[in-house]
Parts: sequence; C-alpha cells; structure tokens
Amino acid sequence: MSSELPPNDIPELHGDDALAADYALGVLGRDERRAAELRLASDPGFRALVDAWQADLAPLGDTIAPIAPPPALWDRIVAEIDPAPKAVRKASLWASLALWRSMALGSAATAAIALALLLAQPAQPPMLVATLASTDGAALITAAFDPGRRAVILTPAGAGPDARHSPELWVIDGDAPPRSLGVIDMHGPQARVIPAERLRGLRAGTVLAISIEPLGGSPTGLPTGPVVATGKLTLI
Amino acid sequence: MSTPAQLQIWLEAIAAGDRDALKLLYDATSAKLFGTILRILPDRSEAEDVLQDVTITIWRKAAQFDPARASAITWLVTIARNRAIDRLRARPQRVYVGLDEAAEIADVQPAADTLIDAARDATRVHAALSALEPRHAAVIRAAYFEGLSYDALATRTGLPIGTIKSWVRRGLLKMRAGLTT
Repeated sequence: MSSELPPNDIPELHGDDALAADYALGVLGRDERRAAELRLASDPGFRALVDAWQADLAPLGDTIAPIAPPPALWDRIVAEIDPAPKAVRKASLWASLALWRSMALGSAATAAIALALLLAQPAQPPMLVATLASTDGAALITAAFDPGRRAVILTPAGAGPDARHSPELWVIDGDAPPRSLGVIDMHGPQARVIPAERLRGLRAGTVLAISIEPLGGSPTGLPTGPVVATGKLTLI
Repeated sequence: MSTPAQLQIWLEAIAAGDRDALKLLYDATSAKLFGTILRILPDRSEAEDVLQDVTITIWRKAAQFDPARASAITWLVTIARNRAIDRLRARPQRVYVGLDEAAEIADVQPAADTLIDAARDATRVHAALSALEPRHAAVIRAAYFEGLSYDALATRTGLPIGTIKSWVRRGLLKMRAGLTT
C-alpha cells in the first residue's frame, strides 16, 4: 500500500539555491535584490548558482517578440557616451584597477565606486562632489559631508572586499603623501566625524581614492594595496 | 539574430573601446532587449530610458563579460531584465488586479506557433514548464516575463506569499529536472 507524500515532502529549493533561483527569476523585492547582489559580488559559489539558474531560464526569453526601439534612442546613447571622460585619471602610485578587481570585488557590478563628498564652508557652503570610479559604472558608495557635524556620511551601495581586507579612503593632495580619511565599512550606512586637519585643503581638483588594505586599514599610514577607484572633487 | 560567436567578438571589441562594435551589437540585439524590457515596463518612454541605461552599461562593462559564465545574449538579456526590474522595484507598487482577474496570469503561455518557431532550448524549457502544475508554471512565467515580485504575485493572485514562494521554488526545481532528462 503506497502512501501519498504529504505536501511538505515535495522537493523544494532551499537555502542559497532558493535565493539564487529567486534572484535569477526576478521575484525578490528591492532590498532582497540588493542583498543578493552583495552576495553575488563577493561569493563565487553563490555566483555559480545564479549563473546556472540564469542559463536555465534564459531560453524562456526567446519567445519574447522583438520590438525595435525608436531610431532617436541611439542618438541619445551616443550623446551620453561621447563626452565620456571614461578613464578617471589615476595617480601614478596606485596599482592597477584590474588587479584590485580580481582580488577584491571580483564582480563587475561592484567595480565602481561613486563617492560624493559634500564639503561645506561656514556661511552658504559650496558643495564638492567626487565621483570615484573605475572604468565601470555602478555606484558602490555615496558619501556626504555634513558641515554641522564635521561628519562624512557614507552610504554603500555595493559589496566590499573579502573579510580579510578593508577599503580605505584617501586624499591625494598634490605631491604630499596620501592622507587617510579612514576605513570604509561597506556593509551599511555610517556617519564618521573626521578631524578637521584631515579635511583641510579639500577643494575642487583634489583627488580622492580608495585602496584595499589589510583588515582595519593600512598598517603604514600610507596606501599599501591596490586602488578601487579615484576621482576628483568638483564644485557643484 | 547574430551568432553567439559574433556577439562575443563585438563584446570584446566594445571592451577595447570600439564604438562601431557597440553600434553593431546594438543593431543586432536592441529589439530583443527592448521587447524584454517592455514586458516588464510597458510604458515606452520608461522602457527607452532603461534600454539607454542598459546600452551604456554594456559599453562600460563589456570587459566583464565572461563566456565561461554565460552566453553573450544571456548576459545582455540578464542586464536588461535586471535594470528593468530594478526600475520596477524603485517605484511605488502598482495597483494590481484582484482575485477576479487572477486567472489572467495563466494566459502568458506562448502561442503554439511561437513554440514551434522557437529555438530548441526554448522549446525544452517551455516543455519542462508545461509539465508543471499549470498554476505553478503560470506564476513562474509571470515572474520571468513581467518581473513581478513575490509580493506582487501574491497581490495579483490573492494568495499568501508563502504559497507563491512554494509554487515557484517547487516549480523551478521540477522544471530543472525536466531540462536534464
């Protein structure tokens, strides 16, 4: 006499494979998607699970009817690409972005850091913004300077390096040695008060950079690891 | 549609900064990507914005395409779907139809003639889906084609989110088993 399987014994995806399938199918909510993307950037095993589901699901898309976009759209795309000063100038002391990418973030989605540093003067504060990027596009972090608190508020939008390394933010001021603004925690929003002397001299044209350092920050006070991204402060 | 090898060659050229290659790739794939995006974001101007964003992303990230991980077209479509879904998630949830129209999600199944014309892989996936309980297949199709979240699927069907999750996850597992036999 055979017995029917109770519903709970019907095979069901679990754990990481369920999350990978959910992500590949596209059923996660916004925050869950962001969390899954962090895993994707830092966890090759999880990435492989997602790749496998994407490959399995991809043929579904073959039945979607192609629809030609309006010709004018290409002109808009060209207009956005053309003025692109794609390569942010790298300070010569920094190692290659490619090296960093391979060791630290691994994945495409995380290779860019956009960092906005809002600097304020007393009265009506002019804001300074830097976009720190490699050759890629996705924003990893935004930072805002709160003059009232002399705090830099960092809001990461991507994954950090592996657990044995820390990203560290630097000011590259002319020929002077790089000045650390501290280690960045990529796991969540944070506000940090930065001593005034470290912020001194920040102005339009100042280069900011992020390097990957041993856990807790550079042991020497100078950048020792490869660079994530660099960018110049500009007035907005 | 261009061959996978051609798409890969273009992506390599794009990674090296070749604008002409981007145009060739765009001409060959933009209709497919636009169609994919429009299923998720029916508003044309919104879909155009996303396609523009996707194309810029391809331009900037072509170097990260890894043929060992995915075919070129899967990589491109995945970027398009992800961007469209991100856009969908970023706005307040749409007002979804209620119970009365819940059966509608079962209608997403492609027409038979489309199936016949589709590539062999697609036929196999649709065949694997067809072997599922119809409502399980229906929620998987609605999720894939329209980018609906678990929340949205629960709202649309009037069913608890746990039920939808269970359908999707069991359905996908069974679909995969069907693909490997």
